Amino acid sequence: MERIFGIDLGTTNSLIAYSDNGVPRLIPDRQTKSPLLPSVVSFPVPGEIVVGARAKDLAAHHPLATIASVKRFMGLGMEHVTTEDRARYAFSTGTADGGKDIVRFRVCDREYTPPEISALILKELKRRAETALGEEVRKVVITVPAYFNDSQRQATRDAGRLAGLEVLRLVNEPTAASLAYGLDKRNQGFIAVYDLGGGTFDISILKLHEGIFEVLATNGDTRLGGDDMDHRLAHLLLERVPSNVRGDPELVVQALAAAERAKIRLTDSESAPLELHRGSVQVSVTITRAEFEVLVADIVERTVAPCRQAMKDAGLGPGDLDEVVLVGGSTRVPLVRRRVQELFGRQPHTELNPEEVVALGAAVQAGVLSGGHRDMLLLDVVPLSLGIETVGGVTERLIERNTTIPTTVKQMFTTFVDNQTAVDFHVVQGERELVKDNRSLARFKLRGIEPLPAGMPRIEVTFMIDANGILNVTARDERTGREQSIDVKPSYGLTDEQIEGMLEESIDFAEEDVHARLLIEARNDADGLLRGARKALADARLDESERAAIAAAMARLAAAVAGTDYNQIRDLNDELNRATTPLAQRIMDASIKAALERRHVEEVL
Amino acid sequence: MGAIPASAAGREGAMQAAGERVNCWQCNADHSADFFCPQCGAIQPLPDRTDYFQVLGVPRRLLVDADVLQRRYYELNRQLHPDLYQTGPEMAREASLRNTAAVNRAYRTLRDPTDRALYWLSLHGEKLGSNNNRVPPELATLVFEVQEKLEELRAARGTDGQGAIEEEMAAARTELRQRQATLAAALQENFRRWDAAGADALTLTQELKSILSSLAYLGTLARDVEKELDK
Repeated sequence: MERIFGIDLGTTNSLIAYSDNGVPRLIPDRQTKSPLLPSVVSFPVPGEIVVGARAKDLAAHHPLATIASVKRFMGLGMEHVTTEDRARYAFSTGTADGGKDIVRFRVCDREYTPPEISALILKELKRRAETALGEEVRKVVITVPAYFNDSQRQATRDAGRLAGLEVLRLVNEPTAASLAYGLDKRNQGFIAVYDLGGGTFDISILKLHEGIFEVLATNGDTRLGGDDMDHRLAHLLLERVPSNVRGDPELVVQALAAAERAKIRLTDSESAPLELHRGSVQVSVTITRAEFEVLVADIVERTVAPCRQAMKDAGLGPGDLDEVVLVGGSTRVPLVRRRVQELFGRQPHTELNPEEVVALGAAVQAGVLSGGHRDMLLLDVVPLSLGIETVGGVTERLIERNTTIPTTVKQMFTTFVDNQTAVDFHVVQGERELVKDNRSLARFKLRGIEPLPAGMPRIEVTFMIDANGILNVTARDERTGREQSIDVKPSYGLTDEQIEGMLEESIDFAEEDVHARLLIEARNDADGLLRGARKALADARLDESERAAIAAAMARLAAAVAGTDYNQIRDLNDELNRATTPLAQRIMDASIKAALERRHVEEVL
Repeated sequence: MGAIPASAAGREGAMQAAGERVNCWQCNADHSADFFCPQCGAIQPLPDRTDYFQVLGVPRRLLVDADVLQRRYYELNRQLHPDLYQTGPEMAREASLRNTAAVNRAYRTLRDPTDRALYWLSLHGEKLGSNNNRVPPELATLVFEVQEKLEELRAARGTDGQGAIEEEMAAARTELRQRQATLAAALQENFRRWDAAGADALTLTQELKSILSSLAYLGTLARDVEKELDK
């Protein structure tokens, strides 16, 4: 049976795991030995793509060509990009038609959508697992924040597709974590999973019953996390910097990196240095844990209302909970732990590494899907209500939040004027009354309706939210029973055609990427050869003709390096190599002779 | 009156839509619209019109045992959930998705007394009328009082009088809750009479509609009060 892998595609770090005969195992990086792959992608020179720890290092010198925390932009439109975001990244200036558009980063004269960047992270994890296990990775389960809306989920699935993966299931992160905790061992009870990551916050309330993990309610904020704490600390540094350089992206990136280090130090230390050194900018402050807690108090406080709402939706009071589980790197912050304990009135579980537990849970769920663990079953919910726009811009709710998935609801549509052949409807997600306050998911058009008097056609539209929490819409003409064709225009997503295009392009680019890499390699080789040859020219053992040949070869290679024809560079590399060979031979001979003589002496002694 | 006669109530856990026969997609065996083909065992898509009681395999009665309902819900999920068919053929995956969605919707509807009652009305071809937003006469006085107090509270926000009005509101909330509890009990009594032999469907339908309208009205009012008191 083909193995299914579990992937935690996180804001800060990503991990890949698998189920080894029922035991979830993380796959560490070969070099760093860590299972955490920093979710950072850098394009230091056109055509070169670096993912992970090295990309994180490159951020300091290539801030605009290095994308971190791409998860915060998944399934979002340009209109959701904040001033803070713009200080850090370069974005595309928008579409020609001036309509809504998804976020597009501008890097090295190319545009990248968040799913494309995420796909590069997924490819790196895929490669890691393939190297470690010596088998192809095709089928995966990817975790998403429970509070992700439909567009954000679609974007994650698109990323998987772009990485050449078959995404069998999207699993909610807090639910995955509860699987990893093996809480099913206690037969029944209510648990709260508090998941504060780098960029997202989730709270899920679950009921356990003989191996069934039933989510009762979920809530959260998909733009709240440790990144926000880093920004607060970085601000402390940047406000001490002369205002004319404050907006310098390199400086911003370095300040954020310093902030993250200080934040981590403050988990165990009472104080930490916060420093920024770059050219004339020399800032150094010390921050105490108490000061840090004041600085981020409101960020932690923003998690409280979602927790209360989830408890209310689940119909529970704090006294009803049997367990509280902490997930996500940001729950290492002592203030977060204290606040959670206060809120739920009990000591939270912290036995498992909060940064690894989601990936482990994803592997457990992957095991369930591939046919193992049949005693465990997840019943998850849709986090946000789903509705359609009606007259006056009012939302008509079709599916309430916290409805167990999969779920379907049917709605009848008809025409308003005689001989109308198409009907439009607009699907939104959110809890507000007015459509404009909710998140637009997509516009649908029912086409090819039989021309009949107004109100006569009856088109039954089925809205199905599948086990991934993703909406599927189908329609049927009630009179003829025929399937009705529908056009879908996602508000903040990629259409199938766009994804196909990207896949094709990535094949083109893969070729272009290879060319770019070969050029870089050839130039590097040339650099080394030219350096060696320059030294050789001064060597007294060369005769005049040899010296002239080397000088000529050097001149030709230097000229070729300025161009982009890597084949020519490689040929001239060989030529220069040949020109210096006689000298190299002589030097080698001499050293061997010397070595032999020495040995001879040693042997004699 | 509706499609389902009251005498049908009490039929134990029949899975099939009345009399419907279908063929298995896998082995073509003819069966009575079961979840699984009796011949080859393949999961079968439930016919569209199967009612919620049939989906969960519980008696078609208005009084339901919450524990039984939950047990059936879990049992069916353990047999039908899409996680269990991930590696199976597409038809099986489709059937699993569709059946699980039906089970989820049935459970969500039947476990809540109000939703269950509304569904019962729809099974009988009835629904709450469009005159639903008219204040039920027996609630008129209470509704009028509460709305007046809500106005007073909004006006008194930030003034010295706020505390006193809030206390009055809290008292009104208690009264609202009592009324809701009384109506909930009346609902259960109505359910009991539906389930009894020789139920008078016409009278019971009128009574049920009246209780449901009152509950809906009180529910909206109670939410407004909560919202104002939470401010």
